[in-house]
Amino acid sequence: MVSVKELRVRITSVGNIKQITRAMEMVASTKLRRFQERATASRPYTLEIAGLVEHLAAVLGDEALEMPLFRAGAGSRVCMLLVTSDRGLCGAYNSNVFHALEAWIREQRRAGLEEADLDFFVYGRKGYRYLEKRGLNVTRFLVDPPLEEVDFVQAAHTSRQLVAAFLSGEYSRVDLLSTAFESMARFKPRVMAFLPVAPPAGGSGEAADVTSMILEPGPEEIFESLVPRYLETRIFGALVEALTSEYASRRVSMKAATDAATDMQKLLKGKYNRLRQEGITMELLDLVGGTEAQK
Amino acid sequence: MSSELTLRIITPEKVVLDVTAASVRVPASDGSMGILPRHASMVAALAEGKLSYRQGTNAEHLFISGGFAEVRGNTVRVLTGAGETPSEIDIERARSAEERARARLKPRETGLTAGEAQIDLARASAALRRALARLKLKGYAG
Repeated sequence: MVSVKELRVRITSVGNIKQITRAMEMVASTKLRRFQERATASRPYTLEIAGLVEHLAAVLGDEALEMPLFRAGAGSRVCMLLVTSDRGLCGAYNSNVFHALEAWIREQRRAGLEEADLDFFVYGRKGYRYLEKRGLNVTRFLVDPPLEEVDFVQAAHTSRQLVAAFLSGEYSRVDLLSTAFESMARFKPRVMAFLPVAPPAGGSGEAADVTSMILEPGPEEIFESLVPRYLETRIFGALVEALTSEYASRRVSMKAATDAATDMQKLLKGKYNRLRQEGITMELLDLVGGTEAQK
Repeated sequence: MSSELTLRIITPEKVVLDVTAASVRVPASDGSMGILPRHASMVAALAEGKLSYRQGTNAEHLFISGGFAEVRGNTVRVLTGAGETPSEIDIERARSAEERARARLKPRETGLTAGEAQIDLARASAALRRALARLKLKGYAG
C-alpha cells in the first residue's frame, strides 16, 4: 500500500518528466520545420541539375556510359554510406535503419560477399556504435560538423570522398542507406545505389529539343563537371531528408511520451484523492466515535 | 513579352534571383557570353566571376561561383554554388581567403604525394580565383 506522501512525490515527478518531454517535442517541431524549409529551398536546384543530367545523358547516349563513374568499379568490395542520428529518444528511427541494414547485409551475403568485404561511411553516433558492436568495418565516421549542422558544402565534401573511394577501384559500387521522408507520420529507411551513376529516369517528354541544343564548351566537358554536382545534390538531399525524418520521429515519440505522462498523472491523481479522502473519513470516524463514547 | 528574358539564379540553398531582364551576361568557362531574348536553347559551363544583367537602363552585377547556365524558351537558369550581390560579399572573408590561397600556392614542403599536391594546388587556385572575382566585383560596385 502506497502512502499519500509517496503518491504526491510520484505525481510531481511524473509532472516534471512531462514538462521535459513536452519541451523536447516543441524543440523537435521547430527543428523539423527548419529542415523542411531547407529541403524545399534546395529542391529547385536539385531538380534543375537532375534535369540537365538527363538531357545530357540523352545527347551523349552510350558515350556517357563509358565514363568511369557510370561503370561498375573493378574491385569486389562494396561501400555504404549509412545515415543515422547522433542522439536517441527518437522512437524507432535508428532501429528501423539497422533493420534495413541487416537485410542489406543478408542480400550482400547471398551475392557471395563476406561481411569483411563491406566498408562503411557513417553519419550519426548511433550508427557508428552499432557497426562497432557488430564488428563491421567503419572506414570513416563523419562527425565534423555534426549531422545537424550539415550544409551543402559539407554534403559536397562527403560526396567527393565517396567518389574518390569509388574511383580508387577498390569498390564495385557504393550504396546509400538513409531514411526517406514520406509524410509527417511516415518515414522509412531506403537503400539507394549511389555509384556507379544511373542517369535519372526519363519521362520529361522534352527529348525532342535535345539535339538542337547548343552546348558550350561541349557535351563531354559539361557532363564531366555536371555529374559531380548531381551526386552532391543526391547526398545533400538524402541527408536533409534523413534529418527531417529524425525530427518527425522524435516529435511523434515525444508527443506519445507527453500523452502517456498525462494519462499516468490522471491515474495517480485519482488514486491520491481517494486515499486522501479515505484518511479524512477515518479521522472523522475516530472523532465521532470518541465523542460518542464520552456521552 | 518576347523582348525580355527571365533570369533565375538557383543555388542549393535558395533561389537567389528571379527577375526579368533585357539582357544577361554570364562568365562562361571560355569567356564572357552575352544572352539576348530569343536565344537558342543552350547549356553552358560557367566559371567563377561576374554575372550582369540589364533591366531598362540599369545594369546589375552578381558574383557567381561557377556552375551552369541553361537557356530554354526565353528563360535563363543559372545553377551555381553561390550567388552574391555586391552588398552581400564579405570583403574581409574574401581578403583572408585570398591570403590563404596565396600561401597554399607558394612552393613548400608539404609531405603530400605528387597527386595530392596537384589536387591541393588546383583547389587553392580555384579558391584564389573565387576570392579575386569577389573582390573585383566589390571594387567595381564601389
